[in-house]
Amino acid sequence: MNAATGRLGKAILGSYFGLMIIFLYVPLVVLVVFAFNNAYIPTLPLSGFTTRWFHAAFANTDLTGALKRSAWLALLNGVAATILGLLAAIAITGRKLFLRSVWTTLLLLPLVVPYIVLAIGMVIVIHQLGFQASLTAVLAGHIVISLPYAILVIVPRLRTLDASIVEAARDLGAGTFSAFMLVTLPLLVPALISSVLICFTISFDEFAIASFLAPPDAPTYPVFLYSGTRTPALEPQVIALGAIVITLSIVLVVGAEVSRRMLEHRLAT
Amino acid sequence: MGAAGVGGAVLLGGCGSSSSSSSSAASTSRPGINKESGQLAILEWDGYQAFGTPTNKKAGGLVAGADYTKKFGANGITYSLIVNDSEALNKVRSGQQFDIIHPCIENLQDYVNDGLVQPWDTSLLPSFQNLNPALVRGGQLNGQQYFIPWDWGYGSVIYRTDKVDPADAKGWELFWNPKYKDRISMWNGNTTNFEIAALKLGYGGKAMDHLTDDQLTNAKNALMEQYPLNKFLWSSEYTDLQPALQNGDIWIAYSWQDQWVYAKAKGIPMAYMEPSQGRLGWYCGFMLGKDTKNYYHAHDYVESYINHKSCLSLTNYFYYGSADATIKPSEISDQEVAKSLDIGNPNVLSSANVHLQSWEPNEAAVQQAWEEVTASGG
Amino acid sequence: MSSERAAAPPRRRLPRPRSGRGLLMVPPVLVVLAVLVAPIVLIALYSVDVKTNLPFTPTKFTWSMWRDFLPPSQGKYPNPFWHRFEVSMVITVIVSLVAVTAAYPLAYFLAFVPRRSRYTLLLLMLAPFFTSYLLRVIAWKIMLSNSGVINTALWDLHLRAHGNGIPWLIYSKFSVGLVLFYSWVPFVAVPIFVLLDNLDTSLLEAAQDLGANRFVTFLRVTLPLSVPGVIAGFVFVLIPTTGEFITPLLVGGPDSQMFGNSIQSFFQDTPNWNYGAVLALWLVAVVFVMLLVFGRFLSTDLQEANT
Repeated sequence: MNAATGRLGKAILGSYFGLMIIFLYVPLVVLVVFAFNNAYIPTLPLSGFTTRWFHAAFANTDLTGALKRSAWLALLNGVAATILGLLAAIAITGRKLFLRSVWTTLLLLPLVVPYIVLAIGMVIVIHQLGFQASLTAVLAGHIVISLPYAILVIVPRLRTLDASIVEAARDLGAGTFSAFMLVTLPLLVPALISSVLICFTISFDEFAIASFLAPPDAPTYPVFLYSGTRTPALEPQVIALGAIVITLSIVLVVGAEVSRRMLEHRLAT
Repeated sequence: MGAAGVGGAVLLGGCGSSSSSSSSAASTSRPGINKESGQLAILEWDGYQAFGTPTNKKAGGLVAGADYTKKFGANGITYSLIVNDSEALNKVRSGQQFDIIHPCIENLQDYVNDGLVQPWDTSLLPSFQNLNPALVRGGQLNGQQYFIPWDWGYGSVIYRTDKVDPADAKGWELFWNPKYKDRISMWNGNTTNFEIAALKLGYGGKAMDHLTDDQLTNAKNALMEQYPLNKFLWSSEYTDLQPALQNGDIWIAYSWQDQWVYAKAKGIPMAYMEPSQGRLGWYCGFMLGKDTKNYYHAHDYVESYINHKSCLSLTNYFYYGSADATIKPSEISDQEVAKSLDIGNPNVLSSANVHLQSWEPNEAAVQQAWEEVTASGG
Repeated sequence: MSSERAAAPPRRRLPRPRSGRGLLMVPPVLVVLAVLVAPIVLIALYSVDVKTNLPFTPTKFTWSMWRDFLPPSQGKYPNPFWHRFEVSMVITVIVSLVAVTAAYPLAYFLAFVPRRSRYTLLLLMLAPFFTSYLLRVIAWKIMLSNSGVINTALWDLHLRAHGNGIPWLIYSKFSVGLVLFYSWVPFVAVPIFVLLDNLDTSLLEAAQDLGANRFVTFLRVTLPLSVPGVIAGFVFVLIPTTGEFITPLLVGGPDSQMFGNSIQSFFQDTPNWNYGAVLALWLVAVVFVMLLVFGRFLSTDLQEANT
């Protein structure tokens, strides 16, 4: 490490990093501070401490409805995308696969298609087929955009699994399927959980597709959030709930990563 | 228009053959009100949410809808907010399902011709007979009552009298005055802005909704000229426009008359212009979604808006006119404001100084031209 | 059974080629074909007027909408949507360059300075990236608004006249650029960090043994070796920002709307989906070209980042 930075360099880089961390967290802290602010509009000076926005937010059935809807949708998305991603990962890591790079490119394609294009494309498809806007359409869109992430999380883990463990199981008489279920799958669990969590986050926060495809009486949480920024009466509740969501997601991200490493460490030993 | 032939118009509009035929069809094909889910999805302007719903709970607010929420509760209603009529229309066209829609009269034909709505059964609306016959007639197509009129008002320029030179404030051209760059906010209002440009260019109220290709191009170029003078285009009256007007960020804006009344109440020196070219006028009302599964709830909801005390509340709260012809001037709280806006008299919508926003045959071309205007920025 | 096996020659069985394994690809591929590829195909058909959403309207294959949009557009030069595309790309490229430049020292710090806590600090830096994007933009809107946190703080400290907000703070190219930069900087640092972290420090020591000081070592050894990570980071922000529309929607003004906003408002405010399809397909084409040009840097780095 001496070759890369001297004392002065360390000090400068360290302060730069510190400033950047502050810059990254200031808006989040602002959100949390104003969640407790006793005023309708978030301006300075602060107007005193209150928790009434939290009460109002949880009493607002439109808001809690949108939250529950998004959570449920995100969970379904996480599970479905992970299952599909697992199937794709198994196929990709197989020794022989006809047109492997074609399929891989196809499955990773959603990473680069802008969500707004996918959203309006689905609107067009639904219109052509004569369907209505629905949460099923939103779910389908979310599964497709989450699939690449599921694959990117599962494939490396699958690749690094020691093939000889699986072969040992096969030598001991396990069939292909039981070798997979009893040996590979348990070792994959941390990656599968990561995948579910990542896909959950993607769906929970997704706005473009949901804004076009969610039915008007069943908005997802981001769609509701956006409409909340247009209604002064709702804005403080939106901020209050936003503060909770932000804090929870940071806790979740940190917790997930810590437990994933702990799990993998335990499973490897 | 005009008040002549009131009796005949009311009969035709209210209790005529349309209602009897629809009610016989209704009784055979519709489930009773108790079988309906009661979950209403309503496409509505911000501020018109029913009393008792989360954004309209405080005493002294708009009373409309109170009878409905008292009877059925407020939890079954979901509002999607309208930003402008074109967006609302395209939302419904693209497959989003609503039970009730609250568009303005210029879109009546679009909704009906695209098969998006069904006629109301006015026999289920006891207060329907109180509504102004001219407005009611305007809401009919093919002899059916597709549109129940409710609210009406003006569109004009609102401006700070202490910041804007009176000599500049004679007409719609104030929006184009480079002296006030970054202090102007037009509405993100699509076809409305083309009507404003048409008036500014002197095409007149009759032509503003029937622009020829050349006029459309001229209006578009005029709007492209105006576009960079805006600080922003407001979409939400209460989040975008009102705070900016009240804290002085914006001195000149397109507005309906309610913002003038709010500013007056706060003591902010504002005027609501009578442009030399004339103001815009509008009236809006309720339409019933074609595939609604809450036929009877929807009728009850609209009845709770068109009853006398709800219509009065509309006027006293927003200073918009209502379609209720039985409201007496003495019932309005601020008589002076009512008089200056001529709120008791919907006939003003057909007077020479007010140009009613109506259906445009080349609406799609106008909307696309508006997209070109907004793309020209930067 | 096992006694039989014990009698057989003790050699490892080669795994049978599992032809069934490839079939597992079918469900995910079908989903992607139906939900992603089919819509794009349909967008393409709309863009040449082979299909339309307008009822009672005849359709006929034509390139006219494309000719109208792409320069030189017939009779309407310059086409406003093309102009919007140009403005949007300028914002995108500038934001991407600034993000990469600002992220590099962060990656450098994480790779070389902390001894044991580097992954914790990395996580600390990345955690906001994993929170709700919409909420972060809303938080900035609260900070930058005319009566928002920054302006009212300046008024309270008497650094600006009360009521007099900084005009370019919100609804401007600045606000859009700032929020985009904020959203992407942590993510952009990751591929650079991965590359610097895996750098063989003996190379640096060798350079210094040969007489170079640390700065020169950085310029002539570290920096060139880290270029693939820098390009990967650049692409990580370039591609998503090309299609961005949420940030300009919330904090942008008339001069700072992006190409994605044109597409969104086209489909939201007009019935003419055919023309909107031209814009949408163009966006896909642009991203596709970016991918072709930069693709090789992406794939190698994705593999590295995942180990």
